[in-house]
Amino acid sequence: MRPLAGFLLRRLIGGVPALLIVAVGVFLLLDRAGGDAVDAWLVSIGGGDARMAAALRAEYGLDQSVFSRLTFMLGRLVQGDFGWSFALNRPIGPAIMERLPNTLQLMGAATGISFLIGSALGLIAGRRPGSWTDRLLSGGSLLLYSVPSFWLGLALSVIFAVRLRWFPVSGIETIASGKTGLDRAADVAWHLVLPVAALGMIYLALFLRVMRSGMVEAWGQDYALAARARGVPDRRVALNHAARNALVPLVTMLGLQAGAMLGGSVVIESVFGIPGFGRLAQEAVAGRDAPLLLAVVLVSALMVTLANILTDLAYGALDPRVGSGGRDAA
Amino acid sequence: MLREILRRPEAWIGGGLLLILLLVAACAPLLAPGDPLAIVGRPLIRPFANADFPLGTDRLGRDLLAGLIHGARASAAVGLAAAAVAMLLGATVGSAAGFAGGWIDEAMMRVVEAFQIVPGFLLALAFVSALGPSLWTVVLAIALGAWTGPARLVRSRVLSLREADFVAAARVMGMRSGEIALRLVMPLALPPVLAISATIVAGAVLTEAALSFLGLGDPNAVTWGRMIAEGRNQLRSAAYLSMIPGAALALTVVAVYLLGEAVTEVLARKRRA
Amino acid sequence: MSFLISRRGLIGVAAGLLASTALPRLALAAGGRLVVAADSEPRQLNPAIVASNGVFFIASKIVEPLAEASFEAGGLRPLLATSWEGSEDGLAVTFRLREGVLWHDGKPFTSADVAFSALEVWKPLQNIGRSLFANLEDVETPDDQTAVFRFSKPTPLQLVANALPVVSAVLPKHVYEGTEIAANPANAALIGTGPFVWGEHKPGEYYLLRRNAAYWAPDQPKIDELVYRVLPDRAAAANSLEAGEIQLAAFSAVPLTDLERVSEVPGLEVVTKGYEALTYQLTVEINHRNAHLKHLKVRQAIAHAIDRKFVLDAIFLGYAAEATGPVPANDPTFYTPEVELYPHDVEKARALLDEAGYPAGADGTRFKLRLLPAPYFNETRQFGDYLRQALAAVGIDAVIVANDSAGHQKAVYTDHEFDLAVAPTVFRADPAISTTILVRSGVPAGTPFSNQGGYENPELDALIDEALITLDSGKRVDLYKRFQKLVTEDLPLINVADWSFTSVASDRLRGLASNPRWAVSNWADLEQEA
Repeated sequence: MRPLAGFLLRRLIGGVPALLIVAVGVFLLLDRAGGDAVDAWLVSIGGGDARMAAALRAEYGLDQSVFSRLTFMLGRLVQGDFGWSFALNRPIGPAIMERLPNTLQLMGAATGISFLIGSALGLIAGRRPGSWTDRLLSGGSLLLYSVPSFWLGLALSVIFAVRLRWFPVSGIETIASGKTGLDRAADVAWHLVLPVAALGMIYLALFLRVMRSGMVEAWGQDYALAARARGVPDRRVALNHAARNALVPLVTMLGLQAGAMLGGSVVIESVFGIPGFGRLAQEAVAGRDAPLLLAVVLVSALMVTLANILTDLAYGALDPRVGSGGRDAA
Repeated sequence: MLREILRRPEAWIGGGLLLILLLVAACAPLLAPGDPLAIVGRPLIRPFANADFPLGTDRLGRDLLAGLIHGARASAAVGLAAAAVAMLLGATVGSAAGFAGGWIDEAMMRVVEAFQIVPGFLLALAFVSALGPSLWTVVLAIALGAWTGPARLVRSRVLSLREADFVAAARVMGMRSGEIALRLVMPLALPPVLAISATIVAGAVLTEAALSFLGLGDPNAVTWGRMIAEGRNQLRSAAYLSMIPGAALALTVVAVYLLGEAVTEVLARKRRA
Repeated sequence: MSFLISRRGLIGVAAGLLASTALPRLALAAGGRLVVAADSEPRQLNPAIVASNGVFFIASKIVEPLAEASFEAGGLRPLLATSWEGSEDGLAVTFRLREGVLWHDGKPFTSADVAFSALEVWKPLQNIGRSLFANLEDVETPDDQTAVFRFSKPTPLQLVANALPVVSAVLPKHVYEGTEIAANPANAALIGTGPFVWGEHKPGEYYLLRRNAAYWAPDQPKIDELVYRVLPDRAAAANSLEAGEIQLAAFSAVPLTDLERVSEVPGLEVVTKGYEALTYQLTVEINHRNAHLKHLKVRQAIAHAIDRKFVLDAIFLGYAAEATGPVPANDPTFYTPEVELYPHDVEKARALLDEAGYPAGADGTRFKLRLLPAPYFNETRQFGDYLRQALAAVGIDAVIVANDSAGHQKAVYTDHEFDLAVAPTVFRADPAISTTILVRSGVPAGTPFSNQGGYENPELDALIDEALITLDSGKRVDLYKRFQKLVTEDLPLINVADWSFTSVASDRLRGLASNPRWAVSNWADLEQEA
């Protein structure tokens, strides 16, 4: 267990410079934008005068230089304090903790389901490359992969939520329902069906394709040929040998897609009105709220890093040739 | 190799579609002269109802067909430019890191890592909102999220090629390192990047659409993403407004993937052989 | 085929089961819960500090003003004040206050609360009150039910009365006194005298308000729970209404293009009344620092280039009226049609530009302009797209510069980095509240929704200043009629359309649109049939 702990620690510490670059970059980017937090606020309240704006700028510390604001914020971050959000008018930490679960649920469900179904279908398609089933699945996945996820979300919402009323139009749970425990979990799950479908469909297609090509490749490998020559049934060869090998690129892909999926959830959250990270990021940008945007981006980056570490571990477990110290796996 | 690629049906379909698209894009000013944003007819004419506007008109009375044609131009331009910027940037950083090694490599890889762990779309969103939507900021924003893949690929190719026997031999023969890099290593390090270029182009086209969908497209240019976004408000009453550009978008992406698939397959077969 | 049918059938059954267990259709008894769409979550919810429609939409149900707008003659309905009266010299206004009103925490409402709100909140802190109450010196409270406002300069009672619904939300002194008012925790969990009591706010999801059983008006309110569902996405409101998840979407949350379809959905109705005192104007702001736009003829040409009828039909789908000047036609007091009009006339526009010394170049273009449409509404953005085309038709090449709200505020109202801008300016029942500031010179840079185009007209300035201290209502109205004429003659800005909002509501609601500021009033009389 010790080498694992050491590996985790090394990876996390190794990520610090990258996180620092991200933090400074995002801060400077938002600083370049036209208008500041006070401008955003004045617009949202429909007017105000210049004295009020000046007083607010002094209060928010916006009258100070970029450098001193940046160092102040970084100093605070080092102490583990995200600070105060201008846009939300409340501390950032709790706001993050409120929104994070929604996004994680959306992403987690989409990842899990698309991984399971995608790899299973990929297995089926890859068992007999070129067969009728393979063509159908490959073609279908290509089509799915090419449809913009927001477009899919709109279509699903109109058909299943508005027309058929099978699922709710938007939100993460029934508002002010007072539900708790399992009831609430069921309620959330029911709200997540359409967004997860819209977000996950593309990844399902992706995993299907990766799994399929992995399988095709694996069939050509010596061990598969040898096993078949020994008279091992195809089904067993597929499951025991080919699938295991084909899973390796799939897991790599999973880690690589964590960031993309988080990005994709921004649009899906907007379509389905889910108060998640994506919407928080939009609110932060619109409100010129550098501390909030920084917090959202840093936490996202941290999650992606964690996802990469996890896939590295899984990768190591699947492929004994790769030690858990392998850095290039990500 | 080209012949091998052309023997595959995916390549035929994908390549054919893309060829049509590029032709339409190139000839847009001839096919639909004038400003595609001009208000030319009654608002909300349905498709196939009026011979002057075969695909109908939008909310303000702009010709949908003209938008589609000019949108092909802008979408293709954004997709290709973003992919080009991403690959150029990636190849430059990747090869520089690979050749330089040592702390330069380490530092550059940290930057790559930084860009890799930030969700690309989040970055693009912040970038375009901060700098204002124009075709160029959109291109840069998309490229910012897409250049790390090529960078890592090129770097790892350079690293392994640097140690290859024929490079060592060239060095013994007194070839200068600059010459080795340009004449021996780079020609072999770059093809894999070209192989993933299809994915990058397709991704760029989709990202542009998603940005436009969130209202972050260039207001002076027609892109398919913008048409979908504008049509969205009429989704229930005039679905064709977003359906038609949506279909064009999906078809383009399919075409790019099909062609890319054919290329990848042939390359993989060559490697195996 | 049979496979398909059976599968679809199965899914249907499964979904039906789900729906029946997980979502009890909101079967409501009288009273019950009303769910309303809200498109944003104001970060400062205190209506005494932030006088804006976004805040009032939620907060006006909890914190009440002294008076509310009304369709009755006089235009006002007493709420916390029962009467008001100005002194001869215009230096004092005396309010009689309602008796027997309790704060939500049980303490009695008195004149001390009014004095505190006026002197400590409206005058120093409120976005609109700061200028309106700039001359307010003191508020005397001879007894618990009387508050006398003392001004240092003559202040027309008409103006004060017209402004009451917007600027006079009263806060409880005992909660706010001695604290930092803008940061008081009660701003996030409001305490007022209104028909609804603060419940909770789940950020990103909803606000919950509950019935105030001790409300001063008998038998009101008639709704048990008022829920504001946060739906920032515009398409979501229409869909949620149709799916029965919400019962009311105000402030045109349902896109205009969906209204015709939605109006045919059983159980829903489209209401266009209830916004008469909240009229927005679609306005072209002009940067007079621009060498071309300095010429009156160029501005006139732009005004003639705009086809107002097209704007009404295509952009507003008929839910708007042609604007003739800076006061909307539906204002019962100040509006005059006797102004300079600019009918759509492309030829005339071209001739005016020729006369101004801008002949068309070889490609038909005379000069280039930057056009900044405000991003707040679909309609302002669409009008930006339209204006670009309308200007192209007369040889002006306008390049659209898109910004988000903060960027637009900075570019137009602080940095003046624009030539033309499209703004949704608001007329708030009296031109002195938020209209004259659009053309008055001397407004410091950085002030949103004000004259930042560098326009200076001493004659107009003098007229604006005179009206501000004219006590006689009739004379004041005449001054503002002249104001409208001057503005349309010299075109410091171009008013294109008077536009107001629509609501879509369940047809089981009674008491909708009962006053001209209905969406931002207190909804004490709103009722829901079982």
